[in-house]
Order: sequence, then C-alpha cells, then structure tokens
Amino acid sequence: MSDAMTAAKAKGREHWTEVKGQKIFLWQKRRTAGPERGTILFVHGSSMASTPTFDLQAPVGPPNSSVMDWFTARGFDTWCFDHRGYGRSYKGPEFLATIADGREDLSAVSDYILKTTNCGPVCAYGISSGAIRAATLAESHPERVKRLALDAYVYTGAGSPTLEQRRKKLDEWRSATRRKVDAAFLNSIFTRDHPGTGEDQWIPSFIEAVLALDDSIPNGTYIDMCANLPLNDPAKITAPTIIMRGEYDGIAGFDDLIEFFKKLPNPDKEFAVMPGISHASFQQKNHMRAYEILLSFFTRPEPVYKGH
Amino acid sequence: MNEPGIAARSRGEEHWTEISGHKLFLWRKPRTDGPDRGTLLFVHGSSMAATPGFDLQAPGTSYVSAMDWFAARGFDCWTSDHRGYGRSYKGPEILATVSDGADDLDAVSRYIMAKTGAARLFLHGTSSGGLRAALFAERHPERVARLSLDAYVWTGKGSPTLAERKKKLDQWRASTRRPISRDFLNSIHTRDGVYAVDPKIVPFYMDAVLALDDSVPNGTYIDMCANLPVNDPKRLTMPVVIMRGEFDGIAATDDLLDFFRLLPNADKEFAIMPGIAHGSFIQANHQRAFAILYSFLTRSEPVYKG
Repeated sequence: MSDAMTAAKAKGREHWTEVKGQKIFLWQKRRTAGPERGTILFVHGSSMASTPTFDLQAPVGPPNSSVMDWFTARGFDTWCFDHRGYGRSYKGPEFLATIADGREDLSAVSDYILKTTNCGPVCAYGISSGAIRAATLAESHPERVKRLALDAYVYTGAGSPTLEQRRKKLDEWRSATRRKVDAAFLNSIFTRDHPGTGEDQWIPSFIEAVLALDDSIPNGTYIDMCANLPLNDPAKITAPTIIMRGEYDGIAGFDDLIEFFKKLPNPDKEFAVMPGISHASFQQKNHMRAYEILLSFFTRPEPVYKGH
Repeated sequence: MNEPGIAARSRGEEHWTEISGHKLFLWRKPRTDGPDRGTLLFVHGSSMAATPGFDLQAPGTSYVSAMDWFAARGFDCWTSDHRGYGRSYKGPEILATVSDGADDLDAVSRYIMAKTGAARLFLHGTSSGGLRAALFAERHPERVARLSLDAYVWTGKGSPTLAERKKKLDQWRASTRRPISRDFLNSIHTRDGVYAVDPKIVPFYMDAVLALDDSVPNGTYIDMCANLPVNDPKRLTMPVVIMRGEFDGIAATDDLLDFFRLLPNADKEFAIMPGIAHGSFIQANHQRAFAILYSFLTRSEPVYKG
C-alpha cells in the first residue's frame, strides 16, 4: 500500500466538542486497510475549513484527492476539525481566531480524541498557519504528540515574499475580525508563487467545498503572521518533527526554516523539500510526493538505541 | 515489504572489471522480491572493503544486510571494493584518494550498466564513500538517478573526528597504507562517546573486515584532513538525501546544512538519524537508516517539474 493507488473511500463520522461553550466540529475517518499505525490529526490553515483541504472529494482528475482516505487505507485513523471561526464550528462575529485561539481549540480537540478513542499520542500534521497552530499543541501538550509534521510552515517570517505582500494590508486585517473569501481569492493561493503547480482538475472542487462552508473567514492568523511572528519556540518542541517545504512556497524564506530546524531539540528530525510544489501541497499536481513524505515520516521504525 | 523484518537472503554473485589494468571486485545481490525498483550501488568508506558494511552476514542474529534488505524490496544491489581494498588491486603504490575512488566508480558503473542495461543507478555512499559517490555524481550526473550521502562531511568545519585525525596527517602522508586491527575498528565504534553499534553483530563485522584487509590505504584520510571540500554541491544536479547520525563526529550539522542549502535540485531531503553515530548500517538503529534510504529512493516522480 505504499505505492500511489486509489484508496478505498473511508466513511466519515462527525463529532463535536467545545471550548468555552463554543462548539467545535470534528471529522473522523477510520482505518480501512493496512496494519494499525496510529492516529493522525490534520490541522488546517488560515483561509479554509478542514474538510476541503483534507477530505476533498473531487469527481474528476487524479485519484486520491482526499489525503484522509489515502491514509486510512494505509493503517491510520484520521481526524480533522474546523477551528472556531471556520466551517461548522462556532463563528461568532467577534471571533478573531488567532494562533492562541487555535491552541485552545487543539487542546480541546486532542483531549476529545484521546478520551474518545484511547489512541495515545497522535501524529499531528499542520499546513501553513495550521502548522503554527499544530506546533503550539506540541509545545503545550508534548505528551499528546507522537510525531509532528509542519508543511508550508513559517517561523520568523524573515525573507517571506508572501508575508511581505500581506503586511501591506495589515491595517485592513486589523480593522475587522473577518474578511470575505471568494473564488478569485482562493485561486490566488495556487497562482501567487508559481502558476501551474496546482492540480487544475481539483481546484474547482476545492473552491466549491471551501465556499460551501464559508463566505468569510477570520483575520487572526493573518494578523499574527504579519505582526507577531515568531509564535513558536522550536526549543520547546520535543516531538520528532519534519519540515515539509514546497520548492516554490513563498510563505517562508528557506533560511528561516533551516534556522528553525537547527533549534529543534529532538534528533529525530527531517527536512524535506518538495519539488514542483508551492503552497497547499495536498492540492498540487505533485500531491503524491507530499503524501509519501508524510507517510514515511509517520512510519519510521522506532529507535532501538537512544543514546547515553 | 515496508516493515522491518528478515528478508530472504539474496544469492550473491562476484563480478570483475578493471581500471588502468587494475582489477576491481564487484559484488551483486539481485532482486529477490517486490516490484522492480532499479539498480542500487553502495559505496564504501575509508577503513574497510565493501561487503562487511553492506552485506554483513551474522548467523544466529536477526540482522539482515543492507543488500539483502534492499534486494527483497525490489532493488538490484551492487557494491565494489575500491582499489586498495578487499579483493580489488592492492599494489603498495595505490593511495586510493577520493578522486581515485570516483575513477573506480566510473569503471564500476560502466560495467553494471552494460551488464544489466540500467540507464541510471541509485548511489548510496557512506563516510568517504559519500565523498567518492558525490564526486562521481559531479563527473557523471547522467548516470545517477538519486544520490544518498550518509555520514558525509563537506568542508570539515567543526568536525571533532577530523580535528583528531589531522593530528596524524604527517603519519598518513608518510606511507600509502596504515595497518588496521580490532582495536582500531573498535575506536570507530567508540570515538563519538556512545556505543551505538549493535553489539551482537560487531564480532561478525570485525571478522569480515579483517578477513579482507590487514591494512588500508591512506588516500581518503589525507583528503579528508587536508583537501576538503572535494565536492561542489552546486554540481550535484540529481535528487540528494543527506543522512546524518545524531552522534556522528565526522561533520558538524551546520556544515551539512550549508551543503544542503546549495544543492540545486529541489528534490532534496535532510534526515537526522536518532541514536546513530558513524557507520549507520551496523548500528542498533540500522532499520531507521534503511527506512530513510528506502523512502528516498522510492519517491514518486514529480508530475509537475516547473
């Protein structure tokens, strides 16, 4: 099952938990095949809810548009959830959805998953600001994170073309809690770095899925990424960690990520550059490379010898 | 076949070629299982011939050699003794520099490609075998599909092992060969301040090394002490993985990350191997090294190439 192939579609199940009385939507897809390998928690980014990114059901194009289906066919129980401010979770107009808010969400979500399934520490994957949020879970609850994958991550923001552009609108982000999303904006995610990398046959389904859940999204992570980086302390991330960096991704300078990587204290760490990929690796033409890198990192044999 | 386990032992074959009239020994273990994934050539380091590191047989233990393990996962596995080592030509005048090693790989790769019809090879080099493999890849990028550099060193800056080794540079330069012994081989296993090797297989390993050589040439030691860098990362145009043992003193992590930054192909990975010092394939955690190499060599080809 390590080769690219169409995964059997897993049947999804919704769950609900809450933070401060505000509801949070979770989506579970259980293992359909393969040896039992553990649980993955997928964490979404700034501009869309969870299922469009992690459980996209595209009727056309290459197989495996849902990374959750792909991993359930390879031995994993998989979960994603909508942060407050997104999708089916609480979306009060006052809610900004900062990274700190995301950390609270992750605390509640991981607590719910661990108690509901008794699965033990999870493999956590976050993309873009979802990676920043996932890293906060690893910092605040290291006992809940078995292995951590940070895709399209940014540390200090030094040398980031995307954030340089985004900062020009910082006053606009700060003047409201939410901003509109539309097809043109979502399409820009796939074209801003290097046109041609996105999986053209999936993008319409992706845009449709995002807009079915949200016509606006909160500004918290945009503000944090423009004004408040760094939001993670790599020295506090004790889980084995992989940095997944798209070749063309403008969200971070390469050296910024290398500096972060150097500071990670666990020697079980990897840095993978993904050829032909910009931002949003799971909706790219080369998505299989991202899936494979994640699978291999989450299934590394445990060390027999741990030193000293 | 992704799980660690005992692979079916592949039956080995001897092959021979030559360079400048000097014979070169090659050892092949053909694919025993799995889909055909290509041809993999393992390149040995400074202080031992090829088969002790890559095809170690340790009866009565669960250890499976790298060549058997990869042969059971779809690879046609090859290795060779560089001139100066093992069963290859060992005239007393042979210094076996890194450049000589890249010349050997030219002849070896020609032979393998002619014998098997392979258009390109996967290369895995360990320690100075990484330097040899990389120099060969610089000279013949068209022959290398993907390149793995394990226990590699680039400039040598910040390397505790090389700082010690440099103290004996005059000694290395005074002759073409140096004697090796169990004490010396043990020093490789202890010099990084940990004992990360698998103690059950160490006796088999030492027997295998010393059955082939009671001395080894000094060329790579001299190069690593006096002539680094011998590789230019900008000329390595193929996909590359750097495999770095947590405790390996042969290079500083920053030296390797500087090298990694300069690799021009965006298909590149950097993996730190926990609990591993130098010589990953005979370490207690060798399964991690095998898994990293396997996953890198089996990455799907990008659909979009920019």
